[in-house]
Amino acid sequence: MTVRARRRPASCAVCGLVTGVLVTFAAAGCGVLPELPDDVPGDVVPTLAPSVGSSARENLSPDGFDAVQRMAVRIRNVGCSGLSTGSGFAIDEHTLITNRHVVADSEVLEVSTYDGRDLEVAAASIAGLADLAVVRTDDALPSYPQLADRDPVRGDTVLVVGYPQGGELTVTAGEVIGRTTDPLNENLGEVLVTDAPVEPGSSGSAALDTDGRVIGVVYAKTSDDRSLLIPLSTVHGLLADDRAFMAVPPCA
Amino acid sequence: MLGLLLLGAIGVGAYLWLTTVRWQDDSAAWELKARGYAEEVAELRAELDGVNAELVAAREQLATATQRITDLANEKAQLGDENVASQQYLDYQTRVSEAAGVVATALGQCTAAQSQLIGYLEDSEAYDPADLDRFAGEVSELCRQANEANDQLQRELTQ
Repeated sequence: MTVRARRRPASCAVCGLVTGVLVTFAAAGCGVLPELPDDVPGDVVPTLAPSVGSSARENLSPDGFDAVQRMAVRIRNVGCSGLSTGSGFAIDEHTLITNRHVVADSEVLEVSTYDGRDLEVAAASIAGLADLAVVRTDDALPSYPQLADRDPVRGDTVLVVGYPQGGELTVTAGEVIGRTTDPLNENLGEVLVTDAPVEPGSSGSAALDTDGRVIGVVYAKTSDDRSLLIPLSTVHGLLADDRAFMAVPPCA
Repeated sequence: MLGLLLLGAIGVGAYLWLTTVRWQDDSAAWELKARGYAEEVAELRAELDGVNAELVAAREQLATATQRITDLANEKAQLGDENVASQQYLDYQTRVSEAAGVVATALGQCTAAQSQLIGYLEDSEAYDPADLDRFAGEVSELCRQANEANDQLQRELTQ
């Protein structure tokens, strides 16, 4: 009896310790007691790839000029009996669109870019059925825009990029007011009327939509200060017809 | 039973002590790291402010430079126009001067021929009347052409 009585406390102590440990870990495992913290990681800074915002990407330019400015050209017509200036715009690396009356009666055509570079002219041809002309250059043009896939409609915003009065390159904005028959009878079909300001010298300027796509070509100004555009559909139609253009007649 | 509870309490206490110490260490490590990152953030903010200031200055310089390029391109174009216009005016003046010289010569020939005709008429008996008539006709035609050239020159000059 005595021996048994001496051994019972020892076994109870072991049992109690074991039970205590088990209870402790069970309690910790069940969330009653806080868990031990994880080791502090060496570096918690996430690795991100460098990115450029879409607006910044759209403004990227090799020289700080907008694409809209880079595709515009100034045309000097050293004529058979005088001097005149007009505007034009590139449609590919070596081709310009302008007005027939800008290049007509020319002895020499001189084309310069937004940054004052002179481009060598290879050939010029005029359309018979519209106030349009195509000028080919030997030198590469700095930039050229996309052509829109449809004519603009009333209310659409229009940007005109050109050299009014033969002066500084400007961008003016307005809205398409509607369509009308050509008051000057120089073009087949209807032409577009806008309230974008133009001046003599703006002839041949590109008319662009808000995405910078060509929607027409400026060719005249009305007495109430509205601008007249040859619609893109007419331009498309003539460019697709090889027989629509003929060489500019030489000086008599 | 009390012994069991005591041992359990000791175990829990030991675990809580260990947990507390580990969390304290962990917290200190995180704080150290946070302070390091805070310093880094402060440095990067200062750098960013500096870079933004440089960017603003660079943009202003770019805008000034592009405007200057535009101005220079325009000045070059205007000078080119003036040069062409001057050349055309010079060509016009040259043509007018040449035409004036031709007119002056023609008028001089007309005058000389008329003087010659007057001399012949003063001594008309010495010449064949038919020859005199022919010569008078030639002089008249010469003077008509000279006058016509002069009229054309005058019209050109008044344009």
